[in-house]
Amino acid sequence: MISGVPAGARAIAVIIVGAVVIFMLVPLAVVVLSSFSASQFLVFPPRGLSLHWYGAVFGDQAYVAAGWTSLKLAILVTALATLVGTPAAIALTWHRLPGREILAGLFLSPLVLPTLIFGLGLLMVYSIYGNGPSFSGLVVGHLVICIPFVIRTVGAVLGASDPSLHEAARTMGANRLQAYWHVVLPQARPGIAAGAFFAFNISFDDAVVALFLRAPGMETLPIRIYSQLEFSPDPSVAAVSTIMIVITIGLVVLIDRFLGLRRVV
Amino acid sequence: MGGATAGRPRGFSVAWRRHKEALVLIAPGALVLVLAFLFPVGHILVLGFLGEEGVSLEHYAAFFVDDYYLGVVGRTFRLAFVITACCLLVGFPLAYLAARVGPRARILLILLVILPLMTSVVIRTFGWLVVLGPGGVLSDFLQAIGLTGAPTGLLHTETGIVIAMVQVLLPFMVLTVLGVLQRQSADLEEAARTMGASFWRVLRTVTLPLSVPGIVSGSLIVFALSISSFITPTLVGGVRLPVLAGSIYQAATGSFDWNFAGVQSTLLLLTALAVIIPYASLMRRRTSWQTGAAPGAGHE
Repeated sequence: MISGVPAGARAIAVIIVGAVVIFMLVPLAVVVLSSFSASQFLVFPPRGLSLHWYGAVFGDQAYVAAGWTSLKLAILVTALATLVGTPAAIALTWHRLPGREILAGLFLSPLVLPTLIFGLGLLMVYSIYGNGPSFSGLVVGHLVICIPFVIRTVGAVLGASDPSLHEAARTMGANRLQAYWHVVLPQARPGIAAGAFFAFNISFDDAVVALFLRAPGMETLPIRIYSQLEFSPDPSVAAVSTIMIVITIGLVVLIDRFLGLRRVV
Repeated sequence: MGGATAGRPRGFSVAWRRHKEALVLIAPGALVLVLAFLFPVGHILVLGFLGEEGVSLEHYAAFFVDDYYLGVVGRTFRLAFVITACCLLVGFPLAYLAARVGPRARILLILLVILPLMTSVVIRTFGWLVVLGPGGVLSDFLQAIGLTGAPTGLLHTETGIVIAMVQVLLPFMVLTVLGVLQRQSADLEEAARTMGASFWRVLRTVTLPLSVPGIVSGSLIVFALSISSFITPTLVGGVRLPVLAGSIYQAATGSFDWNFAGVQSTLLLLTALAVIIPYASLMRRRTSWQTGAAPGAGHE
């Protein structure tokens, strides 16, 4: 806490926070409120109150199929990303590989380089060398953007922990696997959990890679929403968006419960 | 060169023996990285240089003589500058507050940026379409306070794109600046206050200079993400206000001109790299300074 802050500064702080609260939450609030509309059209403020559009979403085969696709995709990607990302993070933080900094930079580069270019590149590679985009192709695409999150969270946890514990376990007679299983993994667990949460969130919400890797008969939830927005959306888009917002809030609460938001951010 | 190639197998086997464990651990990730990331990205860059008869710059020439595409590039950069400036203007005070308030208030402020950040960008953009549209919330609000007489909409305007994009990218600015501010203790500020400097003077002469690395890295990452954004500018701006990313998508999936998409992707990637490389080195210096691996680096 800072002491002796002038009243003027306090007033400005209150105004800034108030304005940012409105600015950050307005688009989400508008979506949630419009989803309870009784009207045929997407209007705000909603006219009348009903759960009609939620029924419409669950009765719409396209939405339900997209929901299952997104869920299957996110679960598969989360499992694979943690399986591949965790060992890579261990190697990058604890082992003295030559060119470690550059290697780490390369592994994290999908986080900051334009996802759009990568999505397009993958589409080209699939079309030229394979049979075009598919569900497994999309899994690979999401793996690329999710693994860096696992590497970052696991790396952060391991970087703050003591590598000599691992060496001590080896000296005292544990074989390689035992040392990893009983010493390294328990230390890395909070990082793995955080990475898994992020991976699920990124895969479940991604629209850019999924847009390029669209295949006939395979549509994720964000892509379903995107294509509705390109035309004239009815309140069912708001209902399905609200369901996704609720899932996101659930994830954030889970992260906070298990790991504490402060440690993850 | 010849000596280096001859020496490689032996060097490699030594490296393999010494780093076997690390190489096994990293192999699956490296495989995904090379096959599913570096190869596709490299592929698209090469396409920009392939003409009818082998290597050529014809697609680049076509890009640079066309006023339409130069306009697209101009708009992309103009928007990115304005968006970065707005994010900094709003994000710095917020990050400063979050760094200096108590832990409970800090969590709430972090939640305020994390929650929208973790919501799909498609949904946030959808919200802005409703807010900015004709007869939308903003239009009603402006009419209610008497700023405009008739319903107005900011959809399909650059102002609309900026408003929506600032909301999408603000979390990156806040979290980056907060990361730097939290590492520097409030003691220096307290000391300056105790010695009689006013709050504003401390902010100007102590806090701001110490936050420069955070401000610079936050601005770089927001700028890089801004020029590569696709969903929000495309939906809010519409077809009349294309940005580079939208133009790449159009070339690739609309007119199926992959070479031309390759040209634009290369330009976008080079710009992004020019911004990201200083960002990465800033972040690295910060972390090595933090772990004490490079003592003294923090004084620069």
